[in-house]
Amino acid sequence: MSAMDDASEVGRLMAMEGRSMTGTVLLTFEGRQIEGRQGESLAAALMAAGERVLRVSRTGAQRSIFCGMGVCQDCLIEVDGRPNQRACMVKVDRPANIRRQRFGEERAVGMAPMPPRLIGDVAQEKPEVLVIGAGPGGLAAASAARRAGASVLVVDERPLPGGQFFKQVAVEAGGVPPDRQHREGRRLIKEVERAGVEIRRGIEVWGAFAPCELAVMQDGTIRIFEPRRLIVATGAYERAVPIPGWTLPGVMTTGAAQTLWRSYRRLPGQRVLIAGNGPLNLQVASELAAGGAKIAAVVETAPVPMPGSLHALARMFGASPRLVLDGLRYRTHLLRAGLPVLYGSTITRVEASGNALEVSVGASAAGPKSAAGRSFSVDVVCMGFGFHPSNEILRALGCEHDHDAMRGQFTTRLDAETPGKTTVAGVFALGDCTGLGGARVALAEGTLVGATVAADLGHRIPAELQRATQKAREDLARHRRFQAALWQFYAGPRLEFELAAADTVLCRCEEVTLGEVDAAIAAGSPSIGELKRATRVGMGSCQGRYCGPLVSAMLARQQGCELDERFCFAPRMPVKPIAVADIARRSSA
Amino acid sequence: MTDPSSAPHPRVSEISTLVIGGGIVGTCLGGFLAGEGDDVAVIDAGWPAGSIANAGSIHVQMQSQFMSDYPQYIPRLERSLNLYRQAVPFWKRFQDDLGVDCELRITGGLMIAEDRRQLDFLSKKCRREVELGLDVAILTRPELAKLAPYLGPAVIGAEFCPAEGKVNPLLANTAIRRWANGRGAVLLHEEPVLRLELEGKAFRATTSRGIIRAGRVALAAGFASKDLAAQLSIELPAEADPLHMNITEGTTPFIGHLVQHADRPITLKQLGGGQVVIGGGWPAGLGTPGTIPIVKLSSIIGNVSLAQHIIPQIAQLRIIRTWAGINTFVDGCGILGRIDAVPGLFFAIPGSAGYTLGPLSARLVADCILGRDPSEDISACSVDRFSAP
Ligand SMILES: Cc1cc2nc3c(=O)[nH]c(=O)nc-3n(C[C@H](O)[C@H](O)[C@H](O)COP(=O)(O)OP(=O)(O)OC[C@H]3O[C@@H](n4cnc5c(N)ncnc54)[C@H](O)[C@@H]3O)c2cc1C
Ligand SMILES: Cc1cc2nc3c(=O)[nH]c(=O)nc-3n(C[C@H](O)[C@H](O)[C@H](O)COP(=O)(O)OP(=O)(O)OC[C@H]3O[C@@H](n4cnc5c(N)ncnc54)[C@H](O)[C@@H]3O)c2cc1C
Ligand code: FES
Repeated sequence: MSAMDDASEVGRLMAMEGRSMTGTVLLTFEGRQIEGRQGESLAAALMAAGERVLRVSRTGAQRSIFCGMGVCQDCLIEVDGRPNQRACMVKVDRPANIRRQRFGEERAVGMAPMPPRLIGDVAQEKPEVLVIGAGPGGLAAASAARRAGASVLVVDERPLPGGQFFKQVAVEAGGVPPDRQHREGRRLIKEVERAGVEIRRGIEVWGAFAPCELAVMQDGTIRIFEPRRLIVATGAYERAVPIPGWTLPGVMTTGAAQTLWRSYRRLPGQRVLIAGNGPLNLQVASELAAGGAKIAAVVETAPVPMPGSLHALARMFGASPRLVLDGLRYRTHLLRAGLPVLYGSTITRVEASGNALEVSVGASAAGPKSAAGRSFSVDVVCMGFGFHPSNEILRALGCEHDHDAMRGQFTTRLDAETPGKTTVAGVFALGDCTGLGGARVALAEGTLVGATVAADLGHRIPAELQRATQKAREDLARHRRFQAALWQFYAGPRLEFELAAADTVLCRCEEVTLGEVDAAIAAGSPSIGELKRATRVGMGSCQGRYCGPLVSAMLARQQGCELDERFCFAPRMPVKPIAVADIARRSSA
Repeated sequence: MTDPSSAPHPRVSEISTLVIGGGIVGTCLGGFLAGEGDDVAVIDAGWPAGSIANAGSIHVQMQSQFMSDYPQYIPRLERSLNLYRQAVPFWKRFQDDLGVDCELRITGGLMIAEDRRQLDFLSKKCRREVELGLDVAILTRPELAKLAPYLGPAVIGAEFCPAEGKVNPLLANTAIRRWANGRGAVLLHEEPVLRLELEGKAFRATTSRGIIRAGRVALAAGFASKDLAAQLSIELPAEADPLHMNITEGTTPFIGHLVQHADRPITLKQLGGGQVVIGGGWPAGLGTPGTIPIVKLSSIIGNVSLAQHIIPQIAQLRIIRTWAGINTFVDGCGILGRIDAVPGLFFAIPGSAGYTLGPLSARLVADCILGRDPSEDISACSVDRFSAP
């Protein structure tokens, strides 16, 4: 299945071919016929058909979508005989025969060998500016650099540009029109393309090699980019909080549920419980409720907002009244719909019971004990405990990072004077991948970094862009104030692995439990590398993105040290797994 | 069971024998010496090297790639062939001593040919190896179809060496450290030796944490031994050779043997967990000293596409990780034993397939240190060969 195009372009092409955009596509899953909607992801079609078990692991455990954004690798399925396809990233655009992926069946029997090849056989491009990530940050940067005259290529692994904040509606079916956020994103995408920026969709950057050599997957084969300047705007992914049952089908990140709805107009299930920390959970609860889901509860680790937090709210309002009003709107929606928000609480365990999930809720350290002991029976549990920066490309290129203990994340070390300048020559970075700041910060940083990169390449900054950078500077300061107040408002205990039991899987891919990691640390694995080699924690397909931060924190704590890069898994290529065939194949699949 | 390296870092200021380098050779050496009552410490810098990065192939037959790249070293390689042969049964016994299943499997190894010329080269090599006492044979395509049905149509024949196989270095390294510690060797980690000097009849090592005086010193620091030896005015042509590795996700086992190529750099095998490990000598870039070597895209492309060419069934597996390690290159043969010029100094550098040779090499050097005749002839490995006119 090919990379997706912008929904309207697809529509135009299909109209020419005499097909309907709202048309359905017949899919076969494990021999059963199901209907997919043109443009949605296979995961969306499968979830809608009630087929949640997508993969069976080495130990026989059932897995389904978790991240919904191509990171966790838990949704692997076999499509028309090709294993290892991420259901959440593959677009429905023609009939397909889909099978559940069972461990050990990935072999290519009967496949003809391809002749060996060398790097010289691989197509290379040398764009003046390459931007990785077509989210708000990457798009803003591309626009600014282009307006100053630079030639800019943007690549993104998702089928549609927009990133997380501006994810676009990919289907016309579903009958729910795009909202203001969608439309704002759409305007930005159009503006960027009209300015003459090329946005290539469905292009995964799987390797980053010093000094500035990027390997990507494009149309079934690999390709190399050697840009004069690189702008990394790869965003963030959701942090893991392992609890008993968190690998069960039906337990997914809040972002995964949001993408199902915002992009594909599919509900993850009928009865939904959303748990974690931060404003995204309320927003998604409100969106899913409006879409017809029954929200059993929103479980928030932060305590009930107190007069002290009203002060934070006031500062947020001063910085960005519109965002606060949006937030209040979500809250009001929920109240009006009679949905309980349980503050100072957390989910503690999920158990499968028939087709349903039984969720236990208890007090988070910040909460009153009142929440303890409640339980809910639902179809879907969403976990949204905040984010980690997607900084793997930056780390692989050698850019230095520092740990921000307050926010519990690694931030990219950036030049104080030059926006976005990392410690590696020619490499610039912005947005959530450098440290969480949200979409508005990413947009402002994008404008500043795009202009900086263009100037660095010798382009003259037009007056219009100079004014835009001035405004971006003001916006940036304002939205940083907003973010600081927001996180004060949502300050709660930051959960790591406190809720995991000894037999709870910490490393989803290699199925390594907390008990095994504990034992290896107690037996004295002195370094993160040793721990990895001793237990296989972090050795799986997601490249340690979920368990890595947890294990690093555990190890640093055990050694009584401040967390720093020494405790992180060494950055290794590829940043996303890549099939042997894709490396060997000469032209389009 | 406690891993030694976790213990609070011991302070050592005087020791009978100081082994510099805690890779497979140094750690085994420490274990053997301690087991016989020697007061020994193994000190390791924690720098990237061979033992933590290697592919775990158990090699015996001569590497054809090496032979065509360095024809001048073939005689040296031939003289060390017997050590390779003995190293395999030694590894088996050693694994029994460790009491841990390190996934040592003697499955046999195939060096494959794709055309007549390569097969002729292998036939000649095979005849020579038989003369030298090795159990090897040339297999034709129909024989291969039975023995190794996973090989693709590009393969027309192969040299088979039943003594070859694989071991899981992740398991073995941990087991060896525990074993050495259990026998009383002191293991000092993340402590580089910065200077090595003679002090009367003894040695004085200045480390990152202080001074250690030792009656005897064994250099088991791989290529880094060169700099240490130079401080004692000994020339040692041991060079850093940064190499590339790839590994796929796990799947069901289907590749039985260690697979190599007659004319191209590749080694390939499947681990116990079903991951296919692909290496064989593609280059990596050397970073600044003490940092991990740099993975090259060119090596990923060359090595991985070659692998699927000879075993097409791996095509749908995904490469999940690549890494690079630093091997030590000498001249086809290790550097083992004593040196007349500096009494009390010993060398323990095993030669290029040093994971295979590691335990045996350590045993032989331990014998030298303890003043015994080693069980194998190591005259070809003497350091004196570099100073001989
Ligand atoms: C699942 C999820 C949902 C979110 N929902 C909201 C929300 O509703 N409201 C809100 O305010 N904030 C939301 N956020 C926070 C969000 O990160 C920011 O608001 C904003 O989108 C950040 O902009 P950005 O440009 O930095 O990154 P993003 O918008 O995340 O864009 C990054 C882009 O980089 C691409 N990319 C990453 N790695 C690669 C690679 N290796 N190869 C090719 N492309 C790559 C991704 O596909 C993505 O499109 C969400 C975050 C996540 C992870
Ligand atoms: C990628 C790769 C794949 C390989 N694959 C295989 C294979 O499949 N089969 C096989 O048989 N062999 C293989 N080898 C070769 C094998 O790994 C090595 O020959 C073997 O591990 C060498 O062991 P060693 O103990 O001699 O030295 P090393 O493992 O190289 O250890 C040397 C140690 O010395 C330490 N050191 C260095 N300087 C100092 C100092 N100044 N002070 C203190 N300590 C110091 C280092 O920290 C290091 O730990 C491979 C090598 C590489 C790099
Ligand atoms: S759900 Fe598809 S990769 Fe995570």
